[in-house]
Order: sequence, then structure tokens, then C-alpha cells
Amino acid sequence: MSTRDLRTRLQTVRAYLGTYGWLALGGAILVLVGLQWLGPLSTSRASLLFFAVGLFLVVWNLLLLRATGVLEFAHDHAWTLLAVFAVGAVAVQAAGLLNSYWSTVALQMFMFGVLALSWDLIGGQTGYPSFGNMAFFGIGGYTAAVLFKNYGVALPLTLVVAAVMALVFAAIIGVIVLRLRGGYFAIATLGVLLVAIQVARNLSITGGTDGIILLDVPDQALIYYGMLAVLVTEIAVVYYLSTTRFGYVLNTIRDDERKATAMGINTTYYKTAAWGLSALFTGLVGAMWAPYNTFIDPATAFNTAWNVEFIVMAFIGGTGTVIGPVLGAFGIRSLVFQIDSLFTGWQLVVLGVVVIVTVIGLPEGLVGQLKQRASALKYYEYGGGAAGGAEAADADATEGGND
Amino acid sequence: MATDPQTGSAAGTADTAVIRTENVTKRFGGLTAVDSVDMHVDRGEIVGLIGPNGAGKSTLFNCITGAYEVDEGHVYLNGTDVTGSSERTMSQAGLVRMFQETRVYGEMSVEENLLVSSRYDTDVLSQFRTPSQETREKADELLAYVDLDGLRDMEAGRMSFGQQKLLEFAMALMADPDVLLMDEPAGGINPSMIEQMLDYIRDTNTEQEVTILLIEHNMDFVMEIADRIYALAHGERIAEGTPTEIQNDDRVLDAYLGRE
Amino acid sequence: MSVVQFVVNGLLVGSLFATVAVGFALIWGVVDIINLAHGEMVMLGGYCSYWLIQLAGGEVSVGIALATVPVAMAVLFVVGYALQRVLIQQVTDESLFLTLLITFGISIAIQQLAIQAWSATPRSINVGLADPSIFVAGLIIPKMKLLAFVGALVLTLLLWLFLKRTRRGRAIRAVAQNPQASELIGIDVEHTRAVTFGISAAIAGGAGSFIGMILGLWPQMGLNYTLKSFVIVVFGGIGSIPGALVGGLSLGTIEELTAGLVSSTWTLAVSFSLLIVLLVFKPDGLFGQSVEGEQ
Repeated sequence: MSTRDLRTRLQTVRAYLGTYGWLALGGAILVLVGLQWLGPLSTSRASLLFFAVGLFLVVWNLLLLRATGVLEFAHDHAWTLLAVFAVGAVAVQAAGLLNSYWSTVALQMFMFGVLALSWDLIGGQTGYPSFGNMAFFGIGGYTAAVLFKNYGVALPLTLVVAAVMALVFAAIIGVIVLRLRGGYFAIATLGVLLVAIQVARNLSITGGTDGIILLDVPDQALIYYGMLAVLVTEIAVVYYLSTTRFGYVLNTIRDDERKATAMGINTTYYKTAAWGLSALFTGLVGAMWAPYNTFIDPATAFNTAWNVEFIVMAFIGGTGTVIGPVLGAFGIRSLVFQIDSLFTGWQLVVLGVVVIVTVIGLPEGLVGQLKQRASALKYYEYGGGAAGGAEAADADATEGGND
Repeated sequence: MATDPQTGSAAGTADTAVIRTENVTKRFGGLTAVDSVDMHVDRGEIVGLIGPNGAGKSTLFNCITGAYEVDEGHVYLNGTDVTGSSERTMSQAGLVRMFQETRVYGEMSVEENLLVSSRYDTDVLSQFRTPSQETREKADELLAYVDLDGLRDMEAGRMSFGQQKLLEFAMALMADPDVLLMDEPAGGINPSMIEQMLDYIRDTNTEQEVTILLIEHNMDFVMEIADRIYALAHGERIAEGTPTEIQNDDRVLDAYLGRE
Repeated sequence: MSVVQFVVNGLLVGSLFATVAVGFALIWGVVDIINLAHGEMVMLGGYCSYWLIQLAGGEVSVGIALATVPVAMAVLFVVGYALQRVLIQQVTDESLFLTLLITFGISIAIQQLAIQAWSATPRSINVGLADPSIFVAGLIIPKMKLLAFVGALVLTLLLWLFLKRTRRGRAIRAVAQNPQASELIGIDVEHTRAVTFGISAAIAGGAGSFIGMILGLWPQMGLNYTLKSFVIVVFGGIGSIPGALVGGLSLGTIEELTAGLVSSTWTLAVSFSLLIVLLVFKPDGLFGQSVEGEQ
């Protein structure tokens, strides 16, 4: 057995041990909750939190054990699964099963799902990590607020205008910032967001530091359906694109932009398209958030903490995957809600810690981990280097100097 | 077809030269990396570019492909002055280039790497469709050709260096090149794979009618495969000729053995 | 107020920006990290001095106030060393984006902990001075600001001497240029990187002490300084201390002029816009290395 096969085998064993370990931990937590050693499940918030964590650990690690099968199932039934989710989410609300609190939680989960997925489109798929996507959110929000309050424009129309505004803004800023690479692009976009905050604080049309207050707000259920609709649409669009050449090209830009250019790809077009799409969806939910929140000011419209939050969501879920950011959004948002009710004011500290832990321990994210596990299993099945046929296997028997 | 080695370096006329550089010079600050280099590659030839480290070979490549803007001189592709054209334009014109460090799209699968390398799916509508039947079939063919079929779903970056080299080669072929620029095709791989590489290059040159310009340090390899060779040292062209002529050229020996 | 007054104010406060930026540039150049938590080091240094002074009674003499500076620096050195060694080291060799993300996470965590611990109300350090300002040629120069100006220059000079003249300083420069070679000649690269981070944090902390004395402190002040440092370093070039000095003084002057001639509410907008403009149009900086490497 070659050293590489041995190493792969050891890695697989370690991975399995890890998985079983987490599985055991999750199971232990569930048992403790069941025995009510962590408070009664029906009333105690802490107990609910532990239950969720334990359940997650168990379910996730079971999925990891069957990684290849899970991925195949997901690919084969992607559209069905999406439809089931959409219908289910609508039904649950229509049947009145969600009280006001849970409706709020769900609505925010959908919104952050959009924010995280939109970020991932430009950050995870295209490799241009933007620290300033919230700028689009704020622009959408302020546009909707101003139109609604000052000009009495009907909400659906404000959404359209807001989306267009976000696109225009993205086009203008994109010409400037999309020339920059990686970390420098990130800083520049952060700068854009901060400039946006300052501008919003200084202009009277945005209400300065006080912001704009909106009365006469739509029914919460309507916003719920609206956010859901945008989320489902975006998932559909992004998923579809990931199977087309457009999606592939975005990934080439991420993996090696120079190579892509050398192979004849006009990376500027594609980058700009991804950036615009990202702005569109982000601006749209921003426009819905403003009336729902009854209030918009520079701090909420261009919230830097939220910007980090949805980046982390994409990260934890798995950048470059379609469902990863959405799952990450659902998980983190509900976690933040729970932390907020248990230890008010600490959610950002928790977020900071989560960021650190994720970057160090799980940089590929959950779905990424799933994919890697499946990939490793497959590679292992094929017997490591021998998979490529005799020529390929012999290919690098020498260390070979690179001159 | 290949120029007859017996007649030596027949100066290619603009009609037959696929690539021609005239007086190409590239400077970086105070350093002249490429100094007034004239060279040409005729249709159907396999031309080698050799020289000690720092001789300017890769820089010359970059000048030809448009990655660098030349400070002086001209580059011609099939008789047309393409000086100053971007790498992208050159690539779309059929001049495909491979990299010394072997560049593939690391997080994409082997199959995806191939599918995205086609030169022909560039109209707007194609972007929003799954890759065409034609593209898929060609990708399958090439996967079988370089024997990476079993790894088609593997993340390209996880493969070994040799496998990535084969992938990059397949990607270049996927782009249906008119001219192929290869940067150290024999680098970092073992003897039996080098033999394979020789076969692949010959095959591509004759069967696919691809003109080839390659940089190489492996002397045996270059002597074996090239119809003509240019030797560079300190950015200047110091010799040109058939493999035999080059092997016996004093200036080349001096440059490599540093006998000055 | 005259334009000259604005310029003088700008230079006085700009020196502090420069000192902070020099620390930022140090980490970037040596450890190859853009530390988004750098501003928090400034904030922590300021609070360090603040609490020491509170212990000493609340309003103190100049001497005692100055004495808190080295203490704050020592504390921040330890904090910086620990952060690099324990957390950031884990991702040093990964993509730039990951280091941005982790340092942003650290930044948020520190900010929020500061809010929990010390509340969000702004604080300032009160130093007792008989005549708070001196008057020269029709200009008002607050003594504390002059002191801070001198202090900032002293810190910068000390750092420059340290890097140029001491063995540890040379080791740091070696690691910056060639980590593998440094390892081969016996330099403990990880330790050196952590020491560099510690020094950077210490410099920032020292500047923070002075900032606390003249501009005030609040838990979320850090991000502005981080961004300002970025502008300054991009402007002056990564490897250059003189560049950072010029950049800092310039930025301070621009800000004061904006505040005086336009309105103080637009200063930050101008600074951040400058950042974007510089990144796009002048990534090489005036001195030192370029921000954009080769592909």
C-alpha cells in the first residue's frame, strides 16, 4: 500500500471516529434532555436549545456517514425538495400554526437565507468576498421607505424600484471595485458600506441620523410570504445557474482568474453579473424589511454586524454550495434568537466566537464537509492514485524538480 | 507538416509563420528580461525554447500570449500584427497556453474543468444552458484520451501533480487550439510519464494539426520532440537550429555550462 | 479659525494615526495578515490607561498619565502575542479572506465584551494642567495634543530603531522577507511572528493611551482606526515607516480641513472614500512596496 493510500485510509478512520464521537455526544445530550436533567423541554428555553443542538449533532453525523448517498439523493430530487419546502412553509403559515414569535423567527430566517445566499454568489461562487453587501440592503430599504412615506407609492411598486436602485448602485460601484482582488476587494467594499452609513447620516432625504419612521405597515403574514418567495426564487435561480456554463465560469474566476482569462473568458462580464444578481436580491429583502421594521436608520440599514453575520452563515453552511448558506442562515439566526432571549446582549460575542471557531475548525462549512466526505470516500474506493489509470498513477512517482 | 530538419532553419515567410516575434523587448525596471528577440514558428512545427534559468523564456511566452505588453517590437499571429492584444483575445484566436506550475481549477471537478474550457460555448444563450451535447462528448473523449475517466468527479486540486498536468493538457485540447504553448511539459513527472507526454505531443501535432511551441529544461525531451530549437540566454536569442545543430553550438554550451 | 489652525490640528492628531498605522503595516508586512482587529488594540490600550488613572484617583498629573502608557503597552503586547499564537496562527497560511474573517470575528468579540464590561458610554482621560494650551503665532495648541504628538513620534522612532538596530528587529525583518530561510538559520518563525504581533498591538495600545487623553474612548472606536490605518498604509506603501508617517499626517490634515471647511459629519465619509480611491488608483503607495503583488 503506497504512503498516500495509507494516509488516506488513516484520514478516513480519523474522520469516522470524529463522526461517531459527535454522534455519541449528540445522543448523550438528547438523553439528558429526555431525562429532564436540563429542565423541562416544554417550558425551558435552555432545554430547547440543548435539544436542538443534540438533535442537530445526531442527524448531521448520521448524514455524514451516508455522505455519498445523501448528496446523490439531493441532486436527483433537488426541485422536488425545494417545492416541498416552499409548499410546507406556506401551509404552516396559512394554517395559522405559527404564532407571532415563530412567524418572526421564520421570516428573519428566510431573509438571512437570501442575504447569505446572495453573498455567497459573489463571495463563495465567484471568489470576491464582499464585506459591504449590506449597502444594497440599505439602499433597497431606504428607497422603499422614502417612496412609501414621501410619495405614497404602493409597496409592491416600491419593491421593484428598490431592486432597480440596488442594481444601478451595484453597476456603478462594481466598475470601481471589481478590479481589485481578494482581500483588497473585501476592504474596499467595507469602505463602501461605511461611506454609505456616513452619507445616510448626513442627507435629509434619508432622515439623517434619526432615520425614517413608517406607519401603516403591512400584515406580518404578507412579509412572511414575501421573504419566502424571494428565498425560494433565489434558491431556484442559483441552483439552476450552478448547472449551467455561467455557474461553472463563476467558479473558474474563484479558482484561478488568470487561468480563466488565459482560456478566453471575459471575467468582467461574469463578475459583474454575479455582483448585480447579488445586489438585486439583497436590495429586494431590504425593501421588504423597512416597512416590516416600521423604521429604518443608518445603523439598521447598513448594519456591519449583519454583514459579518451572513458571511459567517455562508461560511458555516459551506461557501460555494447552494444550500449551505441557506442552512447556515437558518441555523445561526435561530441560534442568535435563542441566545438573545437567554443572555441578552451577548449574541454578538457568541457570533464572534462562532466565527473564530468555524474559521479554525470547519473552514469548508457543513455542506462542504459533506461533499468532502463523499469525495474522500469515492477517492478511497477507487484506490487512491490508481484511479486515473496506469499512466496517471505513475505520473508522479518522482518528486521532480520544478525549474 | 514539419519542416525538413535537413534544410535547417528556413526563414519562415509571413505566410507560413503562425507565430512571429520581431525585435520583442520587455523590461522590468532596470532589468531587460527579453532583449530584441526575433523568432517564428511555422505551421505544423514543434519548436523548442531552451535556456538557463532567468533566460527570459517564460517572459517571452507572456509577451507572445499578451499577458505582458511588450516595450518594443511586434508579435504576429498568422501574419496579423497582434501586438498589444490581450491574453483573452489571443486565446479566442486559437492560441492556447499552458502554465509551468500547471494551472487547473482546483475546486471544480475534472469533468467541469474540461466542460468550461471549450472555446465554442461563448454566445449569451449558451451561458444559461447546461453544456451542450457536443461539448460533453468532446469532454468525454478527452477524459478517455488522457486516461482520467475514473477521476471525472474528483476535485481537480486533490489530484497529484502529474494528473493535474494531464488535466491541463486535456483542457488545452478542449479549447481546440491552433497553436499550443507548453511550459515545461516534462517537468516534475517520472520517466514513463515523460514517454507518454512525448506521444501526446506528437499525436496532437500530427493528428490534430496543432502547431506547438514549448519551453523545456529536459534536454533529451527537447532534442527528441522538436523540429527546431531556439536558445535564449540573458534575454537574448543566442542560437537557432535543428536539435543536432543546437547540441553542437558553442554559444549554447557556454550558456549552460557557464564557460565564459 | 484659520486654515493654518486646521492644518496644525491635523498634523497633531495625524501623528497618532500614523503610529497606529505603523503597527498595522508591521503585521501586514511581517505576518502577511490584514488585522481587522487592530483598532481594538488601540481601544484596549486607551481603556488600560483609563482604568489605571481611575485607580490613581481620576484626575492625575501629566507624569502619572504618561506613566500609564508603558503599562498599557506591556499589557497589549501580551494580548497581541496571545492572539497570534493561539488563534490567528491557525489560519496564517490560508487565504487572505480567512484571516480577514477571523480578525473581524475577534474584533467583534472584543468590542462586544468591552461593551458588556464597560458600557457603551464614552469616556475620557482627564489630565490636570494649569494652562491647557499654549499660544503660538495666533494658533491654539493644546498641550496634551502636543504631548500626544511627541509621544507618537517617539513611539514610531523607537519602533524604527528597534527594527533597524536590534537582533530581534533583524530577525523580524528576516522572517518578513523569507520565512523558510529564516527557519533554516535557526529563527523560531512562529515565535517571531507572535512577537511582531505583540509589538504591533503594543504600539497601537500606546497610541490608544494618548488618544484617550485627547480624543476620548468608547468601545466601538476601533473600526475607524483600522480603516484609517488601511488608508495610510495603502497610501504610503507597506514596508515604509516614513510612508506611514507622511500618510498619517496627511490623513489627519485632510480630516481636520474637511471638518473645519465643510462639516465634521463628513470627515469619515471623506476618509473612507479616499480608501476606495487609493485602492483603485494608486495601489503602489508613495514609498515602499506595492499593495498589489504579482499574479
